Amino acid sequence: MLKKLIYMAVIGLAATACTEDVMDNINKDEANPPASAVNAKFQVTDAIVATAYSGWGGAYAWYVSSYTEQTFGTGNNQAMKAELRMAGETAASSTFDNEWNGVYGNLNNIYQIIGKCADGGLNAGEPDLLGIAQTLWVLNFELLTDLHGDIPYSEALVTDQPKLDAQQDIYADLIARIGTAISLLQQAQAEGINNTGAQDVLYGGDPGSWLGLAYAVKARLMLNMSVRDSGALAEAITAGEAALAAGFNGAQLSIFNGVDCDNSWAAYNWSRYYIGANGTTADLMAERDDPRLDIYAWDAFGSGYASAPAGDAVLAKSTETVGLPMWLENGAAQLHIFSLSELHFILAEAKARTSGDPTANFEAGIAASFADYADAALETLPDPADYIAALGEHTLGEILTQKFIAQARDEQVQTYNDLRRCKALGHEYITLLNPCNIQAGQNQWPLRLPYGNSDVVSNPSVAEAFGSGNSAGTYIFTENVWLFGGSR
Amino acid sequence: MKKLIALLVSLMVFSALSAQSARTVTGTVVFAGDNEPLPGASVIPSGSKTGVVTDIDGHFTISVPEGVNSLRVSYVGMATSEVSITGEPLLVKLTSADNKLNEVVVTALGMKRERKGLGYAVQDLSAEDLNTDGTTSLASAMQGKLTGVDIRPSSGAPGASSQIIIRGARSFDGNNQPLYVVDGMPVESTPDYSTAASVTGANIADRSIDINPEDIESINVLKGQAASALYGIRASNGVIVITTKRGKYNSSKPVITVSTNLSAEVVSRRFHPQTVYSQGNYLSDYNPTSSLTWGPKITDLPNDPTYGGNGNGHDGMYYNPKLEMAGLDGWTTPQNYDNVGDFFNTGFTENTNFNISQRTDRASYSFGISNSYQKGIIPSTGMTRWGARGLVDWTIDKQWKTGFSGNYSSTKITSAPGANDGIMNVVYSAPAEYNLKGIPYNVPGDPTSQILFRSLTFNNPYWWANNNQYLQHTNRFFGNSYVEYHPAIDWGDNMKLWFREQAGLDVYTSNYTDLMEVGSAGTTQGSIENYGVSRNIFNNLFTANFTAEWGDFNFDAMLGNEINQDNSRWWDYIGTNFNFYGMPVIANATSFSSSEYNRKSRTVGFFGSLGLSWNSMLFLTVTGRNDYVSTMPRNNRSFFYPSVSLGWVFTELEGLKGNDVLSFGKLRASYAQVGQAGTFYENYYYVPSYEAGMYAYTPVSYPVAGVSTYVPYYVVYDPDLKPQNTENVEAGIDLRLFHDRVRLEYTFSYQNVTDQIFTVPTAGSSGYQYKMTNAGKMRTLSHELGINVAILQHRDYDLNLGINFTKVDNKVVELAQGVESIMLGGFVEPQIRAQAGNTYPNIYGNAFKRDANGQLLLKDGLPQATSDSQDLGNCSPDFVTGFTLSGRYRRVNLSTTWSWQQGGRMYHGTNMTLNYFGATKESLPYHEGSMIAEGIDEATGAPNAIEVSKQDYYMSYYDITESGVYDMSFLKLRDVTLTYKLPKIGKFEIDVFAFARNILLWSKLPNFDPESSQGNGNMGGYFERFSVPNTSSYGGGLKFTF
Repeated sequence: MLKKLIYMAVIGLAATACTEDVMDNINKDEANPPASAVNAKFQVTDAIVATAYSGWGGAYAWYVSSYTEQTFGTGNNQAMKAELRMAGETAASSTFDNEWNGVYGNLNNIYQIIGKCADGGLNAGEPDLLGIAQTLWVLNFELLTDLHGDIPYSEALVTDQPKLDAQQDIYADLIARIGTAISLLQQAQAEGINNTGAQDVLYGGDPGSWLGLAYAVKARLMLNMSVRDSGALAEAITAGEAALAAGFNGAQLSIFNGVDCDNSWAAYNWSRYYIGANGTTADLMAERDDPRLDIYAWDAFGSGYASAPAGDAVLAKSTETVGLPMWLENGAAQLHIFSLSELHFILAEAKARTSGDPTANFEAGIAASFADYADAALETLPDPADYIAALGEHTLGEILTQKFIAQARDEQVQTYNDLRRCKALGHEYITLLNPCNIQAGQNQWPLRLPYGNSDVVSNPSVAEAFGSGNSAGTYIFTENVWLFGGSR
Repeated sequence: MKKLIALLVSLMVFSALSAQSARTVTGTVVFAGDNEPLPGASVIPSGSKTGVVTDIDGHFTISVPEGVNSLRVSYVGMATSEVSITGEPLLVKLTSADNKLNEVVVTALGMKRERKGLGYAVQDLSAEDLNTDGTTSLASAMQGKLTGVDIRPSSGAPGASSQIIIRGARSFDGNNQPLYVVDGMPVESTPDYSTAASVTGANIADRSIDINPEDIESINVLKGQAASALYGIRASNGVIVITTKRGKYNSSKPVITVSTNLSAEVVSRRFHPQTVYSQGNYLSDYNPTSSLTWGPKITDLPNDPTYGGNGNGHDGMYYNPKLEMAGLDGWTTPQNYDNVGDFFNTGFTENTNFNISQRTDRASYSFGISNSYQKGIIPSTGMTRWGARGLVDWTIDKQWKTGFSGNYSSTKITSAPGANDGIMNVVYSAPAEYNLKGIPYNVPGDPTSQILFRSLTFNNPYWWANNNQYLQHTNRFFGNSYVEYHPAIDWGDNMKLWFREQAGLDVYTSNYTDLMEVGSAGTTQGSIENYGVSRNIFNNLFTANFTAEWGDFNFDAMLGNEINQDNSRWWDYIGTNFNFYGMPVIANATSFSSSEYNRKSRTVGFFGSLGLSWNSMLFLTVTGRNDYVSTMPRNNRSFFYPSVSLGWVFTELEGLKGNDVLSFGKLRASYAQVGQAGTFYENYYYVPSYEAGMYAYTPVSYPVAGVSTYVPYYVVYDPDLKPQNTENVEAGIDLRLFHDRVRLEYTFSYQNVTDQIFTVPTAGSSGYQYKMTNAGKMRTLSHELGINVAILQHRDYDLNLGINFTKVDNKVVELAQGVESIMLGGFVEPQIRAQAGNTYPNIYGNAFKRDANGQLLLKDGLPQATSDSQDLGNCSPDFVTGFTLSGRYRRVNLSTTWSWQQGGRMYHGTNMTLNYFGATKESLPYHEGSMIAEGIDEATGAPNAIEVSKQDYYMSYYDITESGVYDMSFLKLRDVTLTYKLPKIGKFEIDVFAFARNILLWSKLPNFDPESSQGNGNMGGYFERFSVPNTSSYGGGLKFTF
């Protein structure tokens, strides 16, 4: 009898060992918090870092800087293939898959911040946080659509297989959103709110600084719209001046120390040594006797090649031969989301195109670039006044050339936009020299970037747009994005 | 058979303990195959150390001491027989060692069943069947011996992981490895850490490495789901049931066995680079920093316009700045060095085992100590394993029985990295004129400044061996104790009831260190990562058993409960940026990050089994098990798994009984369902870091600037996750012909896996990269054929052939909606994937651009790649066949094991890259001159007429992944072992043996052994890039038994 009781007890114990509550408790994930437990201010930190690190300053920039001839792809691997415009690299969906996923992943974080700022959310009633999130939303989606054209937008972050939206519609929404962000930040500034504090690694939670950035972003959106909207330049000027009035002094991440936290460009350089100085850019500087040349084209390996002619196959296939910009050896260099010089050059260009006087912005843009080059390279540069004086007349071409040189630092994505935009406007101010841009009589200069592989294999609407078989990805050589004269 | 006899004998001895007197026993020993006498057979009274041998007519006369009731009769090559003394002259018939028909086999949960009645396929290997010499790995000891089981070693390195897949995969990206059960308790066998994409770092051993193959008495492989369904959720991949060595024969004194074997290892297939052309990107220029060997002829180096010495005072010499960096004279005379041969050591493997065991009427025990030591062929790699084990079974009285089994092991492995962190590529691609071994690997006086012929994106392999380390160290104990209670109920002899309670533990701590000294490629400031896991797995098993006989019917039933609780702690401590060189420990680091993670999981199962047999002809078994699993979402935790199997021994029919041709025939069929659980969590946030893509290290990890962050995890979990289901139908036939001299087993199995649980790759635009959900279907058809033929059977000699043939067709029927393929591992491109409509898995990467007729579409005369990745071929082979051929002549035994794999493809990045580098002999005709490649000019649509340099063509060709996809077909002599059993010297039995492993290879893959690859997961075996090579071993050993 006793034994029977023991057996029953054993079976009874075994049965209670698996109730749903017991099992729930066992399966509790103690190291990772559920969404509901995280205040969105902790999310905003990486939303900012990722915008710079995997967005504007990541592999998108590394690749397009070869297309814009602001860097030279070397090291006999991926960057070489980009430099030699091999379609297997430039048109492949795998090439930008990490960035595509990274930026959308960051947007998911931003999307959830925005959700928490809604009424009833964990961060309801925080206009500063919402304004920051909306600004970051615009920055990240602008990056994606500028580079890829039509992308998943209205259904993105909501469904598993979102449809493609037309770039025209996306831009309309981005412009509206940046307007919302501006009002929210104005409200936060007026109320003296700071909900993010040190978690905001860009501006320490200061809504006024964010307001400046939001205006600057608006200025750039309007500049990008200038092919499609004749009134856009005037709006760009208004927004740009408002940014300066709000005290905009550039948006650059300065969390790096070069020891255990490295600037993305330096980290890429040290990991691969794939970046060289491009002869096209070096020549523009040399023609102007530009003091920035020695920083840009630095014969790091003592090979005699401080820079390499665009598309030079021998140097592209070499390793640790071609010289490189000095700042690539400075892991503590600041990383731009939006530089002060860019804002000045946007204003200068818009004014020059609309019969305004670009002089002040032109000069301020060059001065900001000089300061940036020197700071990033840990070098000193002479006062830019003599240099500016020697440049002579501030033609539109010179403005855009100076912007090109300034953005050779780490803002080549916007240069890529400018080159495509100006071509659509019928004015190619920089002559691209890479002989591989035309191969077998066909254009091989990417007019846009191919979609990320994750959507190509898992999202039917993107798969269709990307194409398959021999024609897969070839649209990037033939079709411009809508902003710059195309249709998709 | 042996075990059954031993059991019967011990029972008889037990019952006849009282009637004892000293007497003389006579008898004859014959060979059962032909009833011919066996002269020289050994006859020993049980429990005694000395005996007699039979005479020329097989007769013996022996004086048996008081108290001994049986004799142990043995003969080389035959199964030892224990016979009881009856008072009459004895006729002892010995059979060949491998006659297993009447043996009792251990099936699921330790249930013993007659082999002949099983309704599903099982295959077992005894200690003698395993090729344990010269290896420390159980997987490699089993290779070539099993049908339906694919064993893919990752390399020949000490502690290298292996993939063991039974009848194809069931999970796209999850665990497909079988459950290991040692002495009745499940033990962990999968690796602590997945190598994931498997393109960085070193291989990580799987935990079956803690099992010493020498400790194994027998292995029973439960392949089909009907065989394993009683193990529930963990057993959908089959079960490897291991029984460790225990006291074998009744004796009054212990049996001591000491064995040792030593072997030397060399690379099984060594790469021989071209030795004609020097370092450089082009024929015209020597380039002492290039990674390529497309330079001028080595003999022409003195004429090089930049580096040549002819005409500038160094006639016949050339200048290499790396020599000068190393403090040597930069001017040197061209000559060739054997860089590949120089780099590899001769490996060394030692296995030593000591075992003491005994069996008495009421107890048996076995204790052992073992040591394995391996020195790898790559400098600084190796393995040391110490083991100790003990096992006791004790029959206390008629009602109670108890026992325990315990195994301790300490395994320490140092390994070498592959792929992005590889060192082999540097060795293989070293220009022949560069003395990789002779030129110092660092600047004199500065150990942190490496010197290498090429750029330092990769380490100098010698510098690496002297500075960096991948260390794995595991201390482990697993074992269990049990009590059996046979209540004394007066039901008569026809019915038995007993209960068994078994509790066990599998406890281990694994410590890993990845160390990069100051000056490492990509991590110039140095880093150390100490990580590991501590696991504590408790397993409790309780069963109630009942058997009954009613006339022609036999009946058995079992009910039981199993609880498995796994508590683990995971940690990861990273220190970077050492203060100075020479002290690579975490205390010398200046930046730190760390993480710790605790995890629990529990499975509770209730199960039952019913068996019914009639007249030794029909055997029916029905089982059911219900599992509750903690790692699934609430309300989806309970799953039921049924199985039914039927065996029909048709040779028991009156008309077929005693047939001389067909001695045994059975048809069997089974049906079962088992499942696999997922790993479900409530959706959560995590702390991100930046390390993927182009970065060779982690440039940003939180906290930064004093703050940290949380973001949504990139995997989203489906709260409706349910278990995946595997349905299996199996049918087969077993035939034995000509008095069992020919044995044939054929099995057909159909597996249908639905509701696959996997992390479905999602469109990045969804905001997530993966969704853990149920999606997709997979089905597998497999054919397994085993043939064993005793070609020759004689008392003095025999010759046996075993063939095992396996053909598995493992197809991905569908993935999630809209998902075309999923990644199992690899780079951004190429990858190993599972692709809908394709055989699992396949290679996925850039193909050659071709026209509709398959002709290459050339651009400017050169091949081009497609812009999107495509299916480049199925990995799994058309079939695999193992052969064992063994022969004995008197005391000499020679056995061989062969493997033949037909078809299947692998991505071989090393071949492809070395072709691209101009380092292979195959590249030699392409170093000079020009050509017009065959193909269509894409621009004109006409046949190509553009002339290009041969080098450009060759490099363009081998830049496209399709060129790196190779047929994996091979034939390999896995093992040859020659054993000589010395005539007994005193009380010592001595076996002397010599062996060689992996010595002959015919393969379609050029330059390398196809059994070397990246990764310890589902991609393992199919994706190679700078992987550690496979090895051949040559050795010998001794075994003393006394």
